[in-house]
Amino acid sequence: MDDKGWSVKAGSLLPLLLLVSDLLLCQGVASLPICPTGAVNCQVSLRDLFDRAVILSHYIHNLSSEMFNEFDRRYAQGRGFITKAINSCHTSSLSTPEDKEQAQQIHHEDLLNLILRVLRSWNDPLYHLVTEVRGMEEAPDSILSRAIEIEEQNRRLLEGMEKIVGQVHPGVRENEVYSVWSGLPSLQMADEDSRLFAFYNLLHCLRRDSHKIDNYLKLLKCRIVYDSNC
Amino acid sequence: MRAAGPTGMDLWQVLLTLAVAGSGNAVSGSEATPAILGRASQSLQRVNPGPGTNSSGKPKFTKCRSPELETFSCHWTDGVNHGLKNPGSIQLFYIRRSTQEWTQEWKECPDYVSAGENSCYFNSSYTSIWIPYCIKLTSSGGTVDQKCFSVEEIVQPDPPIGLNWTLLNVSLTGIHADIQVRWEPPPNADVRKGWIVLEYELQYKEINESQWKMMDPVLSTSVPVYSLRLDKEYEVRVRSRQRNSEKYGEFSEALYVALPQMSPFACEEDFQFPWFLIIIFGIFGLTMILFLFIFSKQQRIKMLILPPVPVPKIKGIDPDLLKEGKLEEVNTILAIHDNYKPEFYNDDSWVEFIELDIDDPEEKTEGSDTVRLLNNDHEKSLNILGAKDDDSGRTSCYEPDLLETDFNASDVCDSTSEVAQPQRLKGEDLLCLDQNSQNNSPSADTAPTTQQPSVILAKEDKPRPRLISGTESTHQAAHPQLSNPSSLANIDFYAQVSDITPAGSVVLSPGQKNKAGMSPCDSPPEVVSLCQANFIMDSAYFSEADAKKCITVAPHVEAESRADPSFNQEDIYITTESLTTTAGQSGTAEQAPSSERPVPDYTSIHIVQSPRGLVLNATALPLPDKEFLSSCGYVSTDQLNKIMP
Repeated sequence: MDDKGWSVKAGSLLPLLLLVSDLLLCQGVASLPICPTGAVNCQVSLRDLFDRAVILSHYIHNLSSEMFNEFDRRYAQGRGFITKAINSCHTSSLSTPEDKEQAQQIHHEDLLNLILRVLRSWNDPLYHLVTEVRGMEEAPDSILSRAIEIEEQNRRLLEGMEKIVGQVHPGVRENEVYSVWSGLPSLQMADEDSRLFAFYNLLHCLRRDSHKIDNYLKLLKCRIVYDSNC
Repeated sequence: MRAAGPTGMDLWQVLLTLAVAGSGNAVSGSEATPAILGRASQSLQRVNPGPGTNSSGKPKFTKCRSPELETFSCHWTDGVNHGLKNPGSIQLFYIRRSTQEWTQEWKECPDYVSAGENSCYFNSSYTSIWIPYCIKLTSSGGTVDQKCFSVEEIVQPDPPIGLNWTLLNVSLTGIHADIQVRWEPPPNADVRKGWIVLEYELQYKEINESQWKMMDPVLSTSVPVYSLRLDKEYEVRVRSRQRNSEKYGEFSEALYVALPQMSPFACEEDFQFPWFLIIIFGIFGLTMILFLFIFSKQQRIKMLILPPVPVPKIKGIDPDLLKEGKLEEVNTILAIHDNYKPEFYNDDSWVEFIELDIDDPEEKTEGSDTVRLLNNDHEKSLNILGAKDDDSGRTSCYEPDLLETDFNASDVCDSTSEVAQPQRLKGEDLLCLDQNSQNNSPSADTAPTTQQPSVILAKEDKPRPRLISGTESTHQAAHPQLSNPSSLANIDFYAQVSDITPAGSVVLSPGQKNKAGMSPCDSPPEVVSLCQANFIMDSAYFSEADAKKCITVAPHVEAESRADPSFNQEDIYITTESLTTTAGQSGTAEQAPSSERPVPDYTSIHIVQSPRGLVLNATALPLPDKEFLSSCGYVSTDQLNKIMP
């Protein structure tokens, strides 16, 4: 009899323990203090992670907008690029929500994963953008500096997002899916016009995607951190 | 069939259209007609021959706009010339690219109405962000305009609402104030969830002005406006735009800001005459001028401000009077001051200037004053004679000769170097005289008394020991000099010039004896030693007894020395004594006996040629002691005349 009672008690205790631990874990995730960047085994609160992510995405979008405007002003005037900008961005294949309702309806884990995919997709293009802009004759410093900054911030945002995903979905680790960018040859074309159009396109896509990510993250922040009570 | 409510013009258009349609589709019959008519009516409704008519004749897109990133609408102009052209069938078709492929079909505008005339409204179901759209405008089947865009690029938010302001603070002067303006974002923009990020620009102006002042864009919904004047009224308006976009939305309604009136005690900001500044600068300028004045005319101001301390004046004696040289007056004045006399005119200066012959004679041979005197011109000698009008009226005791010879009275006995020479010898002569007198008169009392002035001179003055020693030194010095009569001319004696001969040579009074090779006062070394042994060097006083000792020997020497005066023709100096001696030699026997004969204490002055050149008679004459004493050795001409027979 005692054994059965013990086992029953153990059986009932175990889920209780799990529940308690879960609760504790959840609370702990939400309220752990900020730890310095680069520290190993450090738990930063989700709110702080989202705050930082939103700041980064906001910043990246500002930079890419400025960079695009600068490029448009310098090189694309009178070339009619905008009419040709059908925008075959390499990230278009990723089925990202296209408006607010869709973004609100999608599950936030999926949305997080999408964000990660988009960010990963831009690692390569940004790297090549920097090198190619450097190689441009009379490389404008404003564009080049911004490209370098965006590349670095993008990497940091990716790390931050991975941390967020690790906290929101611990244990779930999808394959690193991303869109492959194949626009490098077009950036290196000999024809000036075509090359400039390739740059224009790339910068246009960058501005668009940074805006997308910024909006998604803000929505997510409101949903996850503030529980839709922003 | 007929369109409802058309105007007369429209009616004609309808009829025309029908006629054309009818003509065009005569075969089709009546079925087509309603459709055409329906389209015509629709186009009629759309047609609006208003001021916005495009004069170019072609429909064009004016703008496409999304206010909140959830819907958008496009507007175009109707380029139809009123009346003639077919107004109908302007259509908008759109196509959007999704999943990397364009949909083949152009779709028509879902809503031609909601956004007003010549517009197409796409609601949120038709709106996809970050998806490129292309729209085209067709009129009668033909594309007239085409445009491609993304929705996030055409965002132009609605104006903010709910503007209000609050007073932040008022400046201390009561002239300016700061206010805080608040507003709400446009209601259709979902800023709260972060779907759209807006930034705002505030503009304000005074009511009277025409130019709006702009502030920098802000992301918040409130902004302070600083430094508004309290006596003015302002208007404020706000507009918004999506962050990182370029186009602003419409302005909000202007907010009227009426600030509270100034308190009546507030200071006015009107331009007032800066009295305070003027006063300050005026004082500063005056101070500068005063300082300049003070420092430029220093002496005069100094005299005014700080009068000099008066030099102590001696009562009763006017220095100018002494300078003037009325000897009678001076003498009377001097007579008043009995006690001060010896010190008064017996200045130390002329005694001081007696040079001592202690030094090597070789030194003195070079550029001595005597040489200079010798080498000087006639005029210069005259100048020397007539020179020097020193301030204090020092008179010498023995200068009646000089007076007679038109010299300035105060000259000769002055403490000048040229004159000082004879002083020394004068001292010698005094000594000599003293010796003579004492030698001749048994009563040495009177003699010294008569000579007392001189002896007193010798006694009382401090430099007298110098004088005496000077005489002794001259005795000593003269000794080698005696051996060399030719060098006598180079002897740097201070000789008093008594006269100038017509020949141009200077007549010296005291130096005669020395020039002549005689130093009657220069007793031979034996005498010197004798005198020296008895003299107390430290004592300034020369006692009679001591003098007598010297005197006893001296006359002998004097007689000897005088016996053969060698009048050196080469000498420029011709002293009276030498003259007299020469004269004596030539024929005048007065001097010789006088020189050989011992001179009594009181003797009459036979010849007064120079202060030294007193040739005394052998006979003693009663001399008015008082006069002599009173004049302290200074004998005026009148007195001399009295004395002399």
